[in-house]
Amino acid sequence: MTNKTRNFVLVSAAILTIGLGTGLVASYMGLPVSLLSSAAGPDDLKYVPQNAAVVAYANVRDVMNSDFRQRFRQLEPQSADRDEFEQKTGLDIERDIDSVVAAFFPNGESIAEHPERSAVVLARGRFEAGRLEALALEHGGTAEDYKGKRLLSHLEQGGTGDGMAVGFVEPDLVALGSLAAVKLAIDAGADNRNVMSNNDLMRLVAEMDSSNAWAVGRFDAIAREASLPSDLQAQLPTVTWFSAAGHINGGVSGVLKAEARDEAAAQNLRDMLRGFLAMARLQTGSRPGIQQMVDSIQLSGDGKTVALSFAVPSEFFDALEALARQKQGER
Amino acid sequence: MKLPFWGAARRVFDLSLGEMLWSRRTIFMALVVGGPVLLALIVRGLDVFGMTALRVNGRAVGGIGVFGVMMWMLFLRFIVPVLAVFYGTALMADEVEDKTLTYLFTRPIPRGAVLVGKYLAYIACTILVVLPAVMLVYFLVVPFRDVAGTFPALVTDLSLLALGLVVYGALFAFVGAFFKRPLVIGLVFTFGWEPTVMVLPGYLKQFTIAYYLQALVPHAMPTDGLTSLLQGFFRETPSVQVSLFWLILYGASFLWLATRAVERREYVLEQ
Repeated sequence: MTNKTRNFVLVSAAILTIGLGTGLVASYMGLPVSLLSSAAGPDDLKYVPQNAAVVAYANVRDVMNSDFRQRFRQLEPQSADRDEFEQKTGLDIERDIDSVVAAFFPNGESIAEHPERSAVVLARGRFEAGRLEALALEHGGTAEDYKGKRLLSHLEQGGTGDGMAVGFVEPDLVALGSLAAVKLAIDAGADNRNVMSNNDLMRLVAEMDSSNAWAVGRFDAIAREASLPSDLQAQLPTVTWFSAAGHINGGVSGVLKAEARDEAAAQNLRDMLRGFLAMARLQTGSRPGIQQMVDSIQLSGDGKTVALSFAVPSEFFDALEALARQKQGER
Repeated sequence: MKLPFWGAARRVFDLSLGEMLWSRRTIFMALVVGGPVLLALIVRGLDVFGMTALRVNGRAVGGIGVFGVMMWMLFLRFIVPVLAVFYGTALMADEVEDKTLTYLFTRPIPRGAVLVGKYLAYIACTILVVLPAVMLVYFLVVPFRDVAGTFPALVTDLSLLALGLVVYGALFAFVGAFFKRPLVIGLVFTFGWEPTVMVLPGYLKQFTIAYYLQALVPHAMPTDGLTSLLQGFFRETPSVQVSLFWLILYGASFLWLATRAVERREYVLEQ
């Protein structure tokens, strides 16, 4: 073997070894994601506890600015309650909130009975912290510092729970939920033990890049925590992970994905959905507007994955809008 | 005194590896393999500027999706068979064409060892070029955050490429040793027979290598285009065990047939 050949073999082997070594280390030892690229999803995920079973995100600004929202805004009645809320808090939800992240995490209690204890909502936007604190104190709330973050909480009189709380985790980010949940969110950000190190969940989050509203999570964890009757739980298909992604602009498009426990379960789920779709097409044959929407639903998937995608075009909402105006005119 | 079979094959391997790596055919291989690397660089460039390289039904396809499409459509369906055709059919044909076969056959080594040594050199040469290229494509296209989740699929892809090169190589080594116009036959098999029977119903697809390789691909098959649609319609995927069994059987059988053909055939060098 000549030197030239030997060098070529060494360089090729080195590329392979470095690539495989990096992959192995990342796969089994979990290299920090921030080492070579930014983490998937919004930055606010760093305040989501590591054991989160479901994470949802909405780009409120995108949705509020969308043609879809503008179209329905014109049809909304004026709400005095909304104006009062804005006057008291200085917060216009449409204008001041940019994005919202919500997370559910199992804590041994039923989500159905005490959803506030198993959830935290992170809202990014513009908040008047001083005004909100004064309002909380005025209504019997308390203010304290927790790990350097301002925390407002309100305990219900005679209540058994730990009350609701608002934590100012960043100047433009607040965490809402029960006192324990907000403290967990602050801990997740401070200790860097957050959902970003949950590879299974982040794998699904990484697929959501182009959507302005999405949710991902463990289906079995939700079914267990939701305290469903055991008969019903047994009937649920063996779905482990799910994700739902939507894009709202003029119309609405989205993809619902589920990962079954095995290929046979996925095939059963696909068969069941295929049956439902066929029935829906049969039922909506005489209603062209709805038929168009049903026709846009596509079932796909391979192996353990089942995916259902849909696209509701803006023309569909044109028809709905015309119908609403017609009914308003009749009154 | 004749050298033992594997000792002789090793000598031929040492001699052939350098020859293959620095032949004109390697320029062709570099161009074929460099294409996907260039494409991956473009995909990465678009990603850096916030653009999307591939969209299906108006939705952006993630890095691993793009990698899956490149693996199946570029590497497994094109690059692997093409390299196998050009290198495999030339293992003996080049020696005949250059009239250097006499020098090998007059050595005290079994004739079959010449083919086996050259075949092993072909595998080493192509694997040393194709697999590092796939590795580069992977790290360019797939975001680092997805490496942990997709690494097992990459290992499967690399093994599949190696298996594809081994099996296709054995087939075309036999074609090159047995037939008179091996390149034409190889190209007809790769671009005529395989794509045609893969979209037809029936058992004929079992006489292809792509049918079994396809069953082992860890990525979802792209489903756009008429050919893919037909393939999906008539798709009968064999199990992993069945696919591996037939691929190994095909590879071993064709290599044995190629060795026998070289040992028995009377090569006539044109003067």
